[in-house]
Amino acid sequence: MKKTILSLFISILLMGLGNAWAADPLTITLGSDQANPSSPQMGDWLKFRSVIGNSGSQTAHGVVAWISLVQVDPGHEQPVDLEDWSAHKAVTQATLEPGQQVKVEWPMRLIQSGAYRVVISAVDRVTGHVMTSPFVDFQVRRKPVVESGRILPVAFGVPALVLGMIGWRRYRSHAGA
Amino acid sequence: MNPTILIARKEGGELLMSGRGLAWLLALSIIMSVLCLLLVSNTELSLLDNAQVVYMVMGTVTALGALLAIVIGSDALAGERERGSLIPLLLAPVTPSQIVFGKLGGQVAGWIVMYLLSLPYVWAVGSSGQNLTQAVAYLALFGTPVVLGFGFLGIALSARLGSVRPALLTSLITLMLLASPLLLGPSLRQSTIGRLFDAVNPFSAAINTFDSVVIDSQPLTMQITRFAVTLVWLVMTAAFAIRSMRKMEI
Repeated sequence: MKKTILSLFISILLMGLGNAWAADPLTITLGSDQANPSSPQMGDWLKFRSVIGNSGSQTAHGVVAWISLVQVDPGHEQPVDLEDWSAHKAVTQATLEPGQQVKVEWPMRLIQSGAYRVVISAVDRVTGHVMTSPFVDFQVRRKPVVESGRILPVAFGVPALVLGMIGWRRYRSHAGA
Repeated sequence: MNPTILIARKEGGELLMSGRGLAWLLALSIIMSVLCLLLVSNTELSLLDNAQVVYMVMGTVTALGALLAIVIGSDALAGERERGSLIPLLLAPVTPSQIVFGKLGGQVAGWIVMYLLSLPYVWAVGSSGQNLTQAVAYLALFGTPVVLGFGFLGIALSARLGSVRPALLTSLITLMLLASPLLLGPSLRQSTIGRLFDAVNPFSAAINTFDSVVIDSQPLTMQITRFAVTLVWLVMTAAFAIRSMRKMEI
């Protein structure tokens, strides 16, 4: 019984120490660029700005920060593959001295309509904990990808034209006969 | 007049000038229209899908062109035999090469008309304008050797098999096999066999180029190997057609 209580006590103590170690020195801010359109639509570019800082007392080594995008439309909640949205998906910093800050811009081309949430995450080599920024929400308006105003005249006009040609040839051959 | 041009004019005229011959053109335009109407009713397309749609239309036009070429090619010599007009053709002072290239005239005429007919559709679906000019140019550059290669294959099988039906069936099966990448998509072709098949398949070369140019905006320099594959296909099928014509049994 004593052994069990001792084990529990040691475990709780270690968990507490773990949390103390988890006091991450990295801080991340995230904001939308002022030049971003107020009501963006598919095809527009948005830019987000973040500042990654080391608020701790020790140098952070091997810092990696990356951008994540999540679609939050009801019923369509899913992470978004940024492959087509952005070529600027991550930054690395070999060392981040105490008090040092790195400003990062995250440009993004809006590919699909919907409601989205963007967040920046960062990790350093030593602590192994992920720090995340506050998130920014934005809405992308739909833009017609295939324009009915272009397609409908062609889709109905071309077969009608060919039909007219066939009819005209038949008429000519009958008239000739 | 050069006998090749004479035969080509006859073949092209039969295809394009008769009312019945124009029915295929109507069928083609209806297929393209239905495809476009299906696309316009889809509201889930992303911005990138516009280039994807152009790519899809280019692949469809190439496949339809190849289909037309093998139908005409399969009828080229076996049809003459079945109609009883093969012997007069063979007795005429023309070489096997001249007959083969003359018979190709109908396919060339059909492909040119089909290509011109497809341009309004390519323009209509390419509303974002992404690489639209390239799409038009590359459809001609890569579609032509692939389509005419199928035409030569049809003529060759028509000469070898002696009857329209088996020649058409064999050509269609070959077309289905070679055009399978159009249905499978790139992810299903990542195995060793799939990559090997892609490397030697002229149809894959054409549609991979369409993908590369229209969707990924890659330059012509990256398409040289693929273009060589389509040219090799054209030359090989032409040689096969001429050889089959020479060995044709009356």
